[in-house]
Amino acid sequence: MKFGGIRNREKVLIVDITPMIDVVFLLIIFFMVAAQFARTTRAEMDLPLEPGEQEQQAEEAGLVINVLADGSIIVNEQTLDLDQLEAMVRDEVQNVHGGDAKLVKLLIRSDRNNDTSRLNQILNRLETLGVGAARLATEVPR
Amino acid sequence: MRIRVKPSRRRPDRITLNLASMIDVTFLLLIYFLVTTVLAKQEDRLSPTLQTESESASGELSDFQPQIVKVMNIDGAPGYQLGPNVFRTKEDLARTLGGLPKTAGVFIHVHNDLPVGFAVAAIQAARDAGFDQVTYVPAK
Repeated sequence: MKFGGIRNREKVLIVDITPMIDVVFLLIIFFMVAAQFARTTRAEMDLPLEPGEQEQQAEEAGLVINVLADGSIIVNEQTLDLDQLEAMVRDEVQNVHGGDAKLVKLLIRSDRNNDTSRLNQILNRLETLGVGAARLATEVPR
Repeated sequence: MRIRVKPSRRRPDRITLNLASMIDVTFLLLIYFLVTTVLAKQEDRLSPTLQTESESASGELSDFQPQIVKVMNIDGAPGYQLGPNVFRTKEDLARTLGGLPKTAGVFIHVHNDLPVGFAVAAIQAARDAGFDQVTYVPAK
């Protein structure tokens, strides 16, 4: 008599979740790095509360000039004075736009409590370089 | 001798997958992102053209002259001056600009020592009034 033929062994399915964990951690790293990059170009400040032009087409931001409430100018995490800003924009015009200042895209993010004196100084400098238009960032009211 | 063997009741194969640790990790990640997330403020922009004071003063005369809005301190408080009229709010300025001809555009002459928010509101008022051509004239 043989009874050993049938063995009710429970089959255990092993699911290897190692690749999933790898992917999850890669996603975390991606979002952390992306958030860090976004933070470097746009400084935290209170922008003027206006609805803006409300155009549907997203436009390239170009060079982002941050003007904080204390009047300091920050571009790409670097604090600049007016002369340094002028030199940076001049380089941008020469190197990226072949000397045509009308093509340069600038976004000025100025704190709404800031003094217009500083903004006017910046815009006068830009105008002398031949920049024909400035884009002023606003915060859309909720 | 006959032995009757009961037919074996074979239970269907069960797949056991322990999800507890994955759920732990998922909830931890969810809590982390909830705590660290700062709600992004929605931004837009206004795009006035630029002109210096000297250029705007020496511009060639044409049949159409642009409207000129001066953003300045009037009687110790920020205000908008359009011709002889003085406005204290963006809404009042936009209402008056809305009734003016739009062909030649509008110049926003911004003086110093004012809040930037107040000056930007004048550009917004011109846009709201239907002016496509808005020029920012910064004071020296």
